[in-house]
Amino acid sequence: MTFKPSFSSLLGIGVFVLYCTAPFVTASESPLFEKDILPIFYQHCFACHSEKQAKPKGKLRLDSAEAIRGSDMMVAGKPDDSELMKRVSLPHTDEDVMPPLKGGAQPLSDKERAMLRQWIADGAKLDSWVKFDHRGAAMTAGDPSLATAEVRQLSDELQRLVDRSHASKDTKLNAPANDETFLRRVYLDVMGRIPSLEESTRFLDSKDADKRGKLISELLGSEGYVSHMFNWKADLLRVNTRGLAAGQPGKLYDDWVKDAIRSHMSYDEFVRQLITASGYLWENGAVGFYVRDLGMPLDHMSNMTRIFLGTRIECAQCHDHPLEPITQKDFYQMTAFTFGVSNLGKPGGYSPTNVKQWPELKAKLAALGNDKALFDSVSSTIAPLKRLTADTDMLLKYPETYPYDAALRGKPAEPRTLFGDEAVIKDGNRRKAFADWMTSPRNPRFAKNIANRLWKRVMGLGLIEPVDSLSALPKPEHAELLDFLTQTMIRLRFDERAFMAVLLNTRLYQSDTVRETPEPATAFALLGPQLRRLSAEQIWDSHLVMLAKDMDERKTTFRLEGVLDPQRLRKLNTMTADELIAQARIDRAEHTRKREINLLREEQQKERAAAKARGDEKEVQRLAALHAKQNKEQADSDMKAMNSEAGEEGATKETDPRWKSLPPSFIRASEMPLPLPLGHFLRQFGQSDRREIDAFSREPNTTHSLALMNGELTTRALADDSYLRRQLAASNLVGEKRTQLIYRAILVRSATAEELAELATMTQGSPTPEQDIIWALLNSPEFLFNQ
Amino acid sequence: MNSDLTDISRRAFMERYAKAVFGVSLLPSFSGLRAAQSKAGGKAKSVIFLYMRGGISHIDTFDPKPGKPEMGGVQAIATSADGVQVSEWFPRMAKQMHHVSLLRSMTSTQGIHDRGAYLAHTSYFMTPTITHPSLGSWAVKLLGSANAVLPGNILVNGSPQHPRSGYMPTHLAPLPIVDPGAGLQNAALPPQVTESDFARRTALTQAVGARFVQQTPHRDASAYLKVQQDATSLMKSEDLKVFDISREDKKTQAAYGTHTFGKGCLLARRLVESGVRFIEVEDSHNWDTHNDQIKLMENMTPTTDQTMAALLDDLHQRGLLASTLVVMATEFGRTPQISNETAGRGHHPSAFTWWLAGGGVKGGYVHGKSDEIGEHVAEKPVTMQDCNATIAQAMGIDLKHIEHSPSGRPFTVADKGVPVAEVFA
Repeated sequence: MTFKPSFSSLLGIGVFVLYCTAPFVTASESPLFEKDILPIFYQHCFACHSEKQAKPKGKLRLDSAEAIRGSDMMVAGKPDDSELMKRVSLPHTDEDVMPPLKGGAQPLSDKERAMLRQWIADGAKLDSWVKFDHRGAAMTAGDPSLATAEVRQLSDELQRLVDRSHASKDTKLNAPANDETFLRRVYLDVMGRIPSLEESTRFLDSKDADKRGKLISELLGSEGYVSHMFNWKADLLRVNTRGLAAGQPGKLYDDWVKDAIRSHMSYDEFVRQLITASGYLWENGAVGFYVRDLGMPLDHMSNMTRIFLGTRIECAQCHDHPLEPITQKDFYQMTAFTFGVSNLGKPGGYSPTNVKQWPELKAKLAALGNDKALFDSVSSTIAPLKRLTADTDMLLKYPETYPYDAALRGKPAEPRTLFGDEAVIKDGNRRKAFADWMTSPRNPRFAKNIANRLWKRVMGLGLIEPVDSLSALPKPEHAELLDFLTQTMIRLRFDERAFMAVLLNTRLYQSDTVRETPEPATAFALLGPQLRRLSAEQIWDSHLVMLAKDMDERKTTFRLEGVLDPQRLRKLNTMTADELIAQARIDRAEHTRKREINLLREEQQKERAAAKARGDEKEVQRLAALHAKQNKEQADSDMKAMNSEAGEEGATKETDPRWKSLPPSFIRASEMPLPLPLGHFLRQFGQSDRREIDAFSREPNTTHSLALMNGELTTRALADDSYLRRQLAASNLVGEKRTQLIYRAILVRSATAEELAELATMTQGSPTPEQDIIWALLNSPEFLFNQ
Repeated sequence: MNSDLTDISRRAFMERYAKAVFGVSLLPSFSGLRAAQSKAGGKAKSVIFLYMRGGISHIDTFDPKPGKPEMGGVQAIATSADGVQVSEWFPRMAKQMHHVSLLRSMTSTQGIHDRGAYLAHTSYFMTPTITHPSLGSWAVKLLGSANAVLPGNILVNGSPQHPRSGYMPTHLAPLPIVDPGAGLQNAALPPQVTESDFARRTALTQAVGARFVQQTPHRDASAYLKVQQDATSLMKSEDLKVFDISREDKKTQAAYGTHTFGKGCLLARRLVESGVRFIEVEDSHNWDTHNDQIKLMENMTPTTDQTMAALLDDLHQRGLLASTLVVMATEFGRTPQISNETAGRGHHPSAFTWWLAGGGVKGGYVHGKSDEIGEHVAEKPVTMQDCNATIAQAMGIDLKHIEHSPSGRPFTVADKGVPVAEVFA
């Protein structure tokens, strides 16, 4: 390939000059071991050289003062003679380079290398450090006397910390956000949608000095909050309405999560109920937590540790973590707490023995001569009762090939927590002990994780990024701030709403956004929230605001019917063996009838196709009319049976006048049964398919423009009878005033004089100037961003 | 400032300087040396990358272990390639194996879905500090695409977590076709909108949008304005009909199958005919078979077998196979042992199979092998980076070419992957 100077290569040179300033890093003052050097050792060395390994590589350990002194890795004062310095300085292609560059390991940065060199040159002092505590200390809980009423006070304290950080760095907050910007932002962040025209006008016209604080409280208590919060939690928990497990009413898990949010269940209680959940989905929707991860007991623990503790341990499922001091043994010990749950590792998760009537049923069926058809019918009728979430005495055993300690192979793993306190098991209840440890204010990562995640949700970037990279070694940036937030979460007794209120009331949140693309691995600068694209759900839900009134209240018509009807399931559970057999006979009769209907339909189709093939159009029409009549008669009597058999949703007719013009599928994203079909607007805009944690995307794509330009949402918003168009008509405003109203409705701001002039010129002579402006604003990039 | 450069940083400095200013490498790099050994490649004008999300079992598909208890009673069958057997669940692919190079010695260290899939697509390990571009973005960036209007990189039924264009500009990200049956959705004007309405409105949007973009350096803001321009020219393009698979005759549609993967592969073939550089089609099956392996495979494999075979056959019949490289990839294999508890197989990155067909690679060839039960690689290990280097070489991409991320970090198309020279015909 020949070298052609191009724009990009010139740019490359520009970037390159900047980049190459990096090697000239010097340590400005003497590095301190615990502050500067230990983090380097932790990140690059401990995965192989610490007490965590049964056999540390090369018998070298770097996690205690004694071990470091006893090694011959460093010559104090002489970095060039130090083996450690030599090895970390080798070229990347050298096989002896440390750390070994495999499995994603990164070499030391130039800055780190310079720091290490300086530290050795200064005498490699360890000061009073004795050893690294891999478990980390437990947290000391905050002052429990402060309650939610102190939100404003906590908010002020938080702001003072932010201000202090600016003072120390000689930076300052962005300019305060004006009312319009604040309004749109807080609706998007709390309600998951833009405000309606009335909501905007009410707030903007208010003269109340505390109107922002009051709006925050009001929104946090709304149904819109529940909807938006559900999307967030469901992406973490990978909640799937349909197909949670074959023959299981997945929607009940959705409902449980929504109810928990709606009823102000505290976050620690939420997690505790998930971890200790037992029973059937229709008794306790929280068991969806286990049913979701059917057959994946190890992944279940990885997922849980990632979302509740901000820690990724999944590498250690199969081998010691290559990059962090987390061993496979650690992983097995953690998983031992939940492994015995029947729905995770079978056997017992799906079995007739879970059905309490089974012994009697079996005897009765035998007495009836073990009729195979009847046996199968009964088996299918009680199928949902077979899937029970309960503790069993099944033990997690180390693999037969466990490489690190031959003595442990095939032996049961003893439950042990990964860090902080040990969990004490009482009365053999492992899950309770684990849940208590997990949700304890003393857990060093539980409160911190949720505090950091909620911070990110509101501010756009976590104080620790990625949010699932908490570790035994505290990250230096914003440590004080994060500690404060962690303590705040504990003081507020894990009340997520109150915690959000603390953040939303700060001047930091109410400042103008940072409008640049965030640089990976750069600490959040605390200037203002990060500008970001709306989620797929926020875009969809914001469009709904323009189509009809009060859409937060519109609920799904998706019902669990037939075999998955929760009422039927509860009833089945209490039936006697005789009643179950009778029910099975009814179910079988319905099944047979459904088959007959299907066969008839197939026959009819064949008849019509044959007539069509003969070219007898008259006969085709006659048959079509006849079959339609037959099917209608039959449908009236049999449709219910068909639905019942399918166990799918039934749709009830919309009776509320506010929403009559909209099909049932126009509901908030949180109300839709997932997964949605591939072509759905939400999927196009990157909604998670919930197969993996937070599997969403917010990247721009051509298909987004096509959907916004030509898709159904925009077409509906432009229609004469859309809520927005009716509001505009009712306003009786004309000209620029009317344009201003459109701006307020869609972008939640006023149009500038320049914009007004431009719009007037460009829509001159247009037959549809109002639709033009609505269309343009809905398609403008501005609509898609939270700023 | 102190200029205490270490040897390595000085060498790196000179290397980067030379590269940036003169466009040359001072020192032949490691991968460069190996690449020079194999001059083959460069014949694949297009790539169809078939992705089996969830981690498809190698033993139950293209690396059967006849007679071993690990097969769970499933048989191996003979194929159109001498001495090559596949699982009995792939009878139609068995007849296409004379087109295929099997890489039975694939190996990876990433046993987690998102990390494995990321490595498969980008050749780099997932790290928190950067998102790397996928292979398709590299291809379009370095080679362009034969069709000026259609995007050169298209993703059919892709996962929302696809790494897309990573640090590269978003116009290099794949155009997602979420539902291949529906083609490119929303590409036509709604009935009540006239051409002149549309022209007026898009002009208005560009004007309003330009102001926002001016105050908003965030790259996605300007990308959305650009995306609208692309969408508009796409709508006007004659090439749009390529997305409509219903234009194919019934027989062809039936051969591929009416399921999502079938439609996706048929669409991919149409896109290849239109000169699209890189098309990825994800199978809609969930191959993450933790439970009831045998039953699930029995349910899922027939449609996948049908579609893969139909695609190879169709490309061959149309004389496109020589210039089109078809790849089957997945994030890892599955354990040889079927679990007693769940009757499923777990994640297994240490040995698995990908395959290549067409685009200048050998047919009826098997590269490397796994051990007798498919647990470890026995011969000629191939990493995902190696395989991606092979694909890149087949396309004629310079493996040594360095692209810099916006923060100045240097990357190559397949990291340090070394192409598998033996697969080239």
